[in-house]
Amino acid sequence: MYEGIRSPAIHVPKTMRDLVSAATRFRNAIYWAGGTYIMSRHDYYPTKDSYDIISLREIPDFKRINRTDRYLEVGPMVTLNQLASIGKQIVPDPLTQTLHELGTRIVRKQATIGGALCTPDIRLAISGTLAVLNTEIELKKLDAPHTESRWVPTGKLYDRNGRLLIAKNEVITRVRMGFDHEDFSYFFCSGNPMVIPDETVSLTLVCSYNQSVITNFRFCVTLPYGGFHQFQDIEVLARGTMLPFSAQQILRIAKVLIEAIESTNTTISALQKERVRRIFEMALHQLNTQSLAER
Amino acid sequence: MKIECFIDGKRTLLMVNSNKPLNLILMEDVESSQFNARCRDGNCGNCVVLMNDEAVLSCLIPAFRLRDAHITTFEGYKKTRFWHDLERAYEDAKSQPCPLCFPSKTLIFESLLRTIGKPSEGEDNDSSLEDETIIKELSLNRCTCLDARELVEIFNSAANYRRRRRVRRN
Repeated sequence: MYEGIRSPAIHVPKTMRDLVSAATRFRNAIYWAGGTYIMSRHDYYPTKDSYDIISLREIPDFKRINRTDRYLEVGPMVTLNQLASIGKQIVPDPLTQTLHELGTRIVRKQATIGGALCTPDIRLAISGTLAVLNTEIELKKLDAPHTESRWVPTGKLYDRNGRLLIAKNEVITRVRMGFDHEDFSYFFCSGNPMVIPDETVSLTLVCSYNQSVITNFRFCVTLPYGGFHQFQDIEVLARGTMLPFSAQQILRIAKVLIEAIESTNTTISALQKERVRRIFEMALHQLNTQSLAER
Repeated sequence: MKIECFIDGKRTLLMVNSNKPLNLILMEDVESSQFNARCRDGNCGNCVVLMNDEAVLSCLIPAFRLRDAHITTFEGYKKTRFWHDLERAYEDAKSQPCPLCFPSKTLIFESLLRTIGKPSEGEDNDSSLEDETIIKELSLNRCTCLDARELVEIFNSAANYRRRRRVRRN
């Protein structure tokens, strides 16, 4: 049944230096984090073109969680369950909600943050949430002897349609998130990106206000096949607005959002469009409720 | 690739492709009679096994991760004393999963039972789990043969037996 199928060689580097060496020698190798995405593809096994595998699980630096006064830094091999267990005081609320929404504990124990960010053809809600939280990602080029590192905002990891912009010889080495506190945060995911990607929509929204005037408003709509969408013009439109939003304002902003998504030529189904509109309206209504309750 | 691991307590030497998923290994190389899950994309949730005492979806575990691992399939689990807690819970609730998802749901229940009162778990170190958590964790298995109320009832009953067992041991 499996005649002619090559058993891929497995390289398990234990240090960064070993990783650079393996990456330089085996340029076509696949980087293996948790494996949940790679193995859930229908064509994973058996397949004729099986590339060598570089497993990242034995590199201690990649499993490190580091907290300073200003930010939290996690390695790419930190599992989603570990991240969710760090504590509500440290991990921002929308991220905790996103992590719990990504899968059950059994899956979260295996999936890693680096792997979740690097899925090539599907965008998970975590990318959008990290982009809204102004998280930065450290990318390292593994071309010996030039192993350069650079920090990029999460939003710059993908193009507008959600395609991954990391070069083949680059890996995520750290994810850095600040402790900025927002007055209101909202996360909602409708559908399951791994099962029904054509129907799934998720929204992450954070907002700060001072004496009922919005001072900061950031949101991201994530569509598994349609990338993630942040619209600065809508964010600017909301900033400076007095809370609560009127019913007309909510309808207007939601309409502008749908028009903005349509203008990006993203593949979005009618159901997804309706879901985006309703979830966004729901978020704004909740923001209204919270701001009124605090008066 | 030669891999040595322990399947249901027995030391087993496997000669398999390094990227072969564990569910296929169990079906084709070990010929586990009760193991029959071919989804291979983590979506049906019918292939749960215990790996080093943690529940995992075997279709998402490649062969190269099995080196020295302790795999417990449902057949092996039935031989342990923990199985009796769930067996009695099924009897108490007068309902049990359908034959297709029975092994998988049972092992998910078992993995949840092991988290109760476990101080290192961080998230759920309470002595009980919320109904919502139980339902969500069991949603990994997509078979809808049991409704949410039955799942919670079975879990709570099994948790009581497990607590009593721990008290007796202490």
